[in-house]
Amino acid sequence: MDWTREALEARVFEILRDDLLSVDDSFSVDSDLVSAGLDSMAVTQLMLAIEESTGVWVDESLLTPENLASTRSLSACVFEQLRQG
Amino acid sequence: MTSRPSDRIPLTGADAMLRAFDREIRRHNSASHASQLVLRLGPGLDVEALRDTIARVARDTPIVRSSIRRPGLLGAPVYDLTRAAHNPMPPLRIHEGARPSDPKELPASFAAAMNEPFNGKRGELLRFDLVRYGDGSADLAVTWLHMLLDGTGSEKFVEALAEVGAGSRAAIGLEVGPETPETILSARDRGQKAREWQGFLQSFADRPPSSPAGPRRRVVQEVDYRLHAFGAGETAFVVEAAKAKAGFLTPVMYYMAAAVRAHHRMFERRGTIPQSYVVPLPVNIRPKGQEGAIFRTHVSMLWFQLMPDAVETFDTALEEIKRQRRQSIRNGLVDSGVHAIEFARFVPADLFAAMVRRTFQGELCSFFFAFTGDFLPAVQSFFGAEVRNGFHVPAVPPSPGSCAAMSIHQGRLNLTHVYQKGAVTEQEVERFGEDMRSELMQGREHGAGSA
Repeated sequence: MDWTREALEARVFEILRDDLLSVDDSFSVDSDLVSAGLDSMAVTQLMLAIEESTGVWVDESLLTPENLASTRSLSACVFEQLRQG
Repeated sequence: MTSRPSDRIPLTGADAMLRAFDREIRRHNSASHASQLVLRLGPGLDVEALRDTIARVARDTPIVRSSIRRPGLLGAPVYDLTRAAHNPMPPLRIHEGARPSDPKELPASFAAAMNEPFNGKRGELLRFDLVRYGDGSADLAVTWLHMLLDGTGSEKFVEALAEVGAGSRAAIGLEVGPETPETILSARDRGQKAREWQGFLQSFADRPPSSPAGPRRRVVQEVDYRLHAFGAGETAFVVEAAKAKAGFLTPVMYYMAAAVRAHHRMFERRGTIPQSYVVPLPVNIRPKGQEGAIFRTHVSMLWFQLMPDAVETFDTALEEIKRQRRQSIRNGLVDSGVHAIEFARFVPADLFAAMVRRTFQGELCSFFFAFTGDFLPAVQSFFGAEVRNGFHVPAVPPSPGSCAAMSIHQGRLNLTHVYQKGAVTEQEVERFGEDMRSELMQGREHGAGSA
């Protein structure tokens, strides 16, 4: 599948909201992920789910505070990795 | 006297596993599987208020002096609260000491406290040792039978003591965590997961690990430990390097790579490279909504097996740790570990310890390791005294005989190397500290730390 930035963001948001975090309706693509409960285990589960969807593994060293600030910023990081193949 | 179920708090699976480790230690000597938390305090400690608070907490939260026993042939061991009132209060023992010239040096009574047995059947689960110095400062060691509190729980307990002493919380109702993890799996599926986990560990046996202590030492051993304190600049470098190389939320892998490399160097100097290094990594499994649980231990284990050629450099070790962690989480081994550890509750402790030893041909693993992040970040003062530093001293059985525990207090990294005397020489202890510092600092120059 060729991913667009928007489709990837929607997929990452879906994984976080439905599978990994206990969040309410106020959770959005701009919500802070660490505050929402993203921890060391959940972030690896998230990367594994993204790998399953896209075939690309995002190394932990790329998961900076800036990239983990929100679904939007994280998706942009993953999208960049996808583009670089 | 027959106790009601509400008077009995079953041990968790992790508690029961630690109870087996306790038996393992008793098999070699007369000590217990004890853990310790140390606070280095400035002047002003209100000793009487601390003593009074310990007594109030022990009276209102009876698990801290309950008797640990197995109620029958079948069923999990329990904390029997009915015995608490008959059992002794946790002691606060006060020692007067001369401040050591080396600020990193710790009172000998603290290491001695790690080697003093606890009698769980008689409710001896917790004790406090306070060393007061002429300048008014003090060092406090809280030592406990490890199954009562895990590392996270011990910090929450000390924080709760400080809050009770300050009058901001009641002594009653300190949180006892859940007995078993929430699961929707059937007993059959839990058994299947436990077998998968056991099979995973069995796969390590083709290249069994060695520990610094060796598999079948018969000498009487005792624990000692050394603190290696890092300065603020050094810590800032290590923290940033850990984030950059291992990830913002997963820096633990960086610290683990350093510990593997430092142990590898110890074996290189001995000229006896093991077939593999097997290292367990505790994973906090407090469920959502029960993050505040203090008592009982709540951990699963991720296990790593690193071959010597994979640890030739720091970066190769880190990449291998990353790969194995990813693979284990992909295969659901944290969850499987929970179900496997549950079996420890229903198997006699001696038998469980023997089963673990048999898996690795006499060893439990190559070494213990822990990185617990920020140490008591919310506790700046303790009963009127400034908390100048603080760190953990984890338990370590005769195999593996060596443990590297790290945490950060107010921007300064502390490394505690806990070891069995007789398993690791004084020279090896010295070199281990140097090697850990070198690995964590990526070989860069550094200044002296402070304690």
